[in-house]
Amino acid sequence: MADLGVTALLLGLALSMYSVVGSIVGEKKGIAELIVSARRAMYMTLLSAVVASAALINAFVQNDFSIKYVADHSNTLMDRAYVWVAFYAGNEGSLLYILLVLTIISAIAIWFAPRRLARSMPWTIAILAVIQLFYFGVLSFAASPFELLDTVPADGRGINPLLTHPGMFSHPPLLMGGLISITIPFAFASGALIAGNYGDDWIDVARVSAIISWGVLGTGMLLGAWWAYTILGWGGYWAWDPIENVALMPWLVLTAFIHSIMVQKRRGMFRMWNVALLNIAFVLAQLGMFINRGGPVVSVHSFAASTLGIIFMLFMILSLVFAFGLFLWRMPRLKSDRAMESFLSRESAFLVNNFLFLAVMAITLWGVLFPLFSDLARDVSVSVGAPYFDRANGPVLLGIVVMMGVGPLLPWRKASARSLKQWFVWPVLAGVVTVGVLLAVGVQRPIAIIAFGVVAFVATAISEEWWRGTAARHRSGDNWALAWWRLVNGNRPRHGGYVVHLSILMLGLGIIGTNFYQQRTDGAIELGESLVIDNYRIEYVDSGDSSRADRIAQWAEITVYRIDKDDYAVEIDAARAEGASGFTLADSTARLNDKYLGQIEPWHGFYPDFNMASVRSGIRSTVVEDIYVIPRDFLADGRISLAVSINPLAWWLWASGPFFIIGTMIALWPQASIERRRSREPVQLEPLAELEPESNGGKA
Amino acid sequence: MPIILGTLLALASVAVIVYPFLGSKRYRLISESFVIREKLRAERLRIYRKIIDLDADYASGDLTDDDYQQQRNVLRISAAEILREESGSISPDTGRDEQLEKEISRLRDQTAQTLEGGDTL
Repeated sequence: MADLGVTALLLGLALSMYSVVGSIVGEKKGIAELIVSARRAMYMTLLSAVVASAALINAFVQNDFSIKYVADHSNTLMDRAYVWVAFYAGNEGSLLYILLVLTIISAIAIWFAPRRLARSMPWTIAILAVIQLFYFGVLSFAASPFELLDTVPADGRGINPLLTHPGMFSHPPLLMGGLISITIPFAFASGALIAGNYGDDWIDVARVSAIISWGVLGTGMLLGAWWAYTILGWGGYWAWDPIENVALMPWLVLTAFIHSIMVQKRRGMFRMWNVALLNIAFVLAQLGMFINRGGPVVSVHSFAASTLGIIFMLFMILSLVFAFGLFLWRMPRLKSDRAMESFLSRESAFLVNNFLFLAVMAITLWGVLFPLFSDLARDVSVSVGAPYFDRANGPVLLGIVVMMGVGPLLPWRKASARSLKQWFVWPVLAGVVTVGVLLAVGVQRPIAIIAFGVVAFVATAISEEWWRGTAARHRSGDNWALAWWRLVNGNRPRHGGYVVHLSILMLGLGIIGTNFYQQRTDGAIELGESLVIDNYRIEYVDSGDSSRADRIAQWAEITVYRIDKDDYAVEIDAARAEGASGFTLADSTARLNDKYLGQIEPWHGFYPDFNMASVRSGIRSTVVEDIYVIPRDFLADGRISLAVSINPLAWWLWASGPFFIIGTMIALWPQASIERRRSREPVQLEPLAELEPESNGGKA
Repeated sequence: MPIILGTLLALASVAVIVYPFLGSKRYRLISESFVIREKLRAERLRIYRKIIDLDADYASGDLTDDDYQQQRNVLRISAAEILREESGSISPDTGRDEQLEKEISRLRDQTAQTLEGGDTL
């Protein structure tokens, strides 16, 4: 199977090269057959990538340890369900996966490209083919997943234990897929610019493909956060790790793009800006690939010790030069039709929001690259930790959330004093009342209280938008449900966007709760003992061994009780006097008002072959808060070392996911309808002429 | 088996890329006029969409009467100009106005009554 994989990759390399040359020469010389042939070569690159991927997956299924990649990332003990994960668990396999995604989305994008882009399609195809060529080349000559071993081992090393988690079936593929899919809107925009198509013809395709990339990346990041929360055992979900950051940065820029592209569609403005945003997103995606492939910045989940860093760095530099060289060349022709009429307008709010997104991106980029600069300039290795990102990005992110509420309330072009007063009253009131109530009930942390106020402001603004639109339709005779449905259906991108905004608010609630109000305690307890933290007592009731050939593993059974603090007043006072947030109870006899809540089973494993520990946190989750138990270690004396925390509002982090996906789907849905409407167009068009058979007769 | 599969893949690839040159079908490049018509049509659809969105904004109370009328007129004039370019004929403005309103109304009905919505915020 290794031979088949190598053959498929080399064939894909040749086809990509042919597609680049064929597209450009065909366009320049006006040879229609060559353009058609080059386009079809792109479909065959997809087939090549599929065959290469199938060959590798088959090697995993067959336990073909003669292939180094298979021997390095699986063994006979590995659950077959994890073959899919093992496929992209290493550097070479993940590159093949990225190539597979790239060829699939390229083929889909070419197939469904609108006819009005026919003149720029050869250029778009050439750009896509160049990027495919790069990946085929790397996989063929620098990082082949089909490299053979001189001596075939009896068994493989096994899969990285941290990857044996349900989240790994989707988190890495979504992140890698999201990053590479930014190529599509970039290729369409760049192709249009090269062809001299300066209008808005490319923006529908770019918008749809950018939203898909954005949704995939966002979902991938959220799944990664969930994976970190449940398996990594450090008690958090986002650590501003370089690899997290390189996914976040293009996502932020794409978020700015999918907002500002609406201004271009609606008002014919921001053309130059939108092209620049796509270029930035694409280059950042290449930066992500570079850092992930052995770049200079250390990360917990980059492919360490990779020698590919220099190759990806060169490709990133070439991407940067090409994207912005093209931009500068065509910039004079990209001027907008009209200027901003007022600062108090929706387009202005979008622009402010764009700047804020770029500010977060720039702050994050600086944090990612600073260790590298420091190393180069002073020969001193430094690391930039979460406090920098939290402090620098926190206020800007809060500003973005504020703009999420302000933008929809402002009309296009310009707002009047009357409309401002009319639409801002209720949201502002909701924000102020929320702050007042929280202060009145004694909630601490001023920044968090302001953030809750902002969340209330935005939630009310969205509700007001829906209420206003629904009521207007209700007055026209629709019942309330139908009126709301017609409102959403009438402009799905807008209202899908509001659903996404709601999901961001939910995410915000979780971030505020867990960052400002988390309580933690640590302790080692014996069987029968308890740890008490806030309103909870957790009792260590049982343990067991679940070791296997590749791991030393134990589980613990822990019972969670809700307590009445009055029953523990003496111990709580003693703990407070020591400045502790929790305490250990040797006597676990239930007190009068203890209420049984349930049981959790944290798990701890150590994998000698990888010298790596893996945990499954015990989590009891409610809408209000999570009780979160990390088994640090099972000690030799029979005790278990635990880190226990109360994570307020953590549930909302994960609840935001479905809303994010649903909102994205709603926003995306209608785009296809424009093309489907074509057949019902009142204006009669000539049959498609370009690159289609001129006649069924014999070739001249 | 892998050798057979690899050979088949290579042969299929060659066949696919060579076929446009050797096959019975002939191809020609798209004409400039076709591109222009396609662009005009797409632009006209975009303007219809903007008008529908504008109507929705007005119905929701987002716009004053003056703003609404002014913006709608600008869009209608743009659509009329495109329609004139598309048809390539000089027809009476009133006829174009009727056609415009008919098409906007039809697209709005589609948006409201079918699962197809708009594409513009």
